[in-house]
Amino acid sequence: MPVAQPLRAGIGLRHPHCAELLATLPPLGFVEVHSENYFADGGAALQLLHAAREHYAVSLHGVGLALGSAAGVDGWHLDRLATLVQRIAPARVSDHACFARAAVAAVGAGAAVLHGNDLLPLSFNAASLSILCDNVSRVQDRLQRRMLIENLSAYLSFDDDVMPEPDFLSALCVRTGCGLLLDVNNLMVNALNAGAADPSAYCRAFVDALPLGIVGEIHLAGHCVVNEAGSAPLVIDDHGSRVRPEVWRVYAHALRRFGAVPTLVEWDTDLPPLAVLLDEADKASKLLADLA
Amino acid sequence: MTKDAELAREAERQRALLAAILAPQPPPVPVGWRGAEVRARRGLGAYRVNARASAGRALAASFGTLRTMLGEADFNALARAFFQQHPPLRGDLGEWGADLPGYIEQQAGLSAWPYLADCARLDRALHQCERAADAEFDAASLARLGDTDPALLRIEWMPGSALIESRWPLALIHAAHHLDAPQDSDAAFAAVREALQRSQAESVWVVRSGWRSTVHRVDAAALVWTRRALAGDDVGCALAAAGPGFDFSAWLAHAVASRWLKGIGVRID
Repeated sequence: MPVAQPLRAGIGLRHPHCAELLATLPPLGFVEVHSENYFADGGAALQLLHAAREHYAVSLHGVGLALGSAAGVDGWHLDRLATLVQRIAPARVSDHACFARAAVAAVGAGAAVLHGNDLLPLSFNAASLSILCDNVSRVQDRLQRRMLIENLSAYLSFDDDVMPEPDFLSALCVRTGCGLLLDVNNLMVNALNAGAADPSAYCRAFVDALPLGIVGEIHLAGHCVVNEAGSAPLVIDDHGSRVRPEVWRVYAHALRRFGAVPTLVEWDTDLPPLAVLLDEADKASKLLADLA
Repeated sequence: MTKDAELAREAERQRALLAAILAPQPPPVPVGWRGAEVRARRGLGAYRVNARASAGRALAASFGTLRTMLGEADFNALARAFFQQHPPLRGDLGEWGADLPGYIEQQAGLSAWPYLADCARLDRALHQCERAADAEFDAASLARLGDTDPALLRIEWMPGSALIESRWPLALIHAAHHLDAPQDSDAAFAAVREALQRSQAESVWVVRSGWRSTVHRVDAAALVWTRRALAGDDVGCALAAAGPGFDFSAWLAHAVASRWLKGIGVRID
């Protein structure tokens, strides 16, 4: 009888690491890419992704569907994503609980629906939940598969936030059948920026408020602190350093609650040598193995 | 409040935040943002900084020659201004920037370098060419040139191929900014200055070689042919327009050897 192997963590695949990764083929659970970087019809980037797909499961993680936008999902974007999903046959498809599209008058574009190309925060209320559910359902119907939706690190919040974020995300999963991509670094960033008295306790409470069975992937990453005279420090989710110890502890707590969940180490700015990223992934893999 | 009113309020909140990010200067904090004004301002500032940094990185990836010509600081200033006036419409920043050459032409501050817009057009064409679909050359289709009326034939170009027509020495300018050997720089820029002084016009052909897009100078004899054939004219019409000075056989041999062609197609009207 075959023995089940413990899950191994994955890494975000970034172009400067591609050649070394494909030459050395380190053991990884999967690699994850930003979907939009592979929307082109052809070219070297897409070829590299196909090459990676021959050796690893691939997770397509979008940053541009803007699923919470009241202006809706861009049909062009959805078409490109559907084509990519068909080409790559990914293990998972994900994006964020955010908005980016809105009709704004700009000088050159007139009053067009613009795309902010950022993960902009939603309010947590019935209206924004309704918009998000409609858009997620549209995408899932088109792709004919379940998506995972990631919680944000947000630098603004709103007076009409009337639902706790875990309840908002849980309701999204129940109503659409999607899963949650839980970014534990984002939890810590939000806790720190909110001035939580005990940021780790804040994050653990968030994790404990989520129902079992909805978390389909976990993200880990580094963050930085920006200090400015005269105001409280701002913590930025820059994905530019090793995962902080306190984030590892929240991750371990999440694994104890949800079990072994596919886990990704993200690193998008100030890219280190591949070995550093693999070392971070090994730490996550060890925690996953400890559950087995 | 009705559901429609709640949805409209959410749409307006989203519009206000995106407008605040795009605005040249940070606006007053809108009503409804939580927390002390200083905290909301810092949050908005983080999004504004990130948006402009992303815009600069995206345009730098698509307009590498332009960035070298302007220098990092001036290029980033141009990217910020362009972002505010021609913000992205799509969630793929690789697609953004089609309007940048026209925007450059409208900038009085850049009028001393009138060739910049064409350099940006060439950068954009190179970028798009590298994102174009991969295709194979259909060698068998060449036989149609021997057995089919040229009025029924059409050149099928490799995806992403583009012709950039310019009043400026575009090929020389581009080459001077992409030298393999830095010691050739003085001679290359001297050639550019001389060409500018004698108003030398150069149109260029962009096509992919392997995974990289490449630039080829198009001589006067081939220019009309290339323009007409690229526009979809049949081979007979394009050759007639090119005139007797154009050596089609020599061009074809070079085009096939250089993999400019996907094949020879039959026109279907």
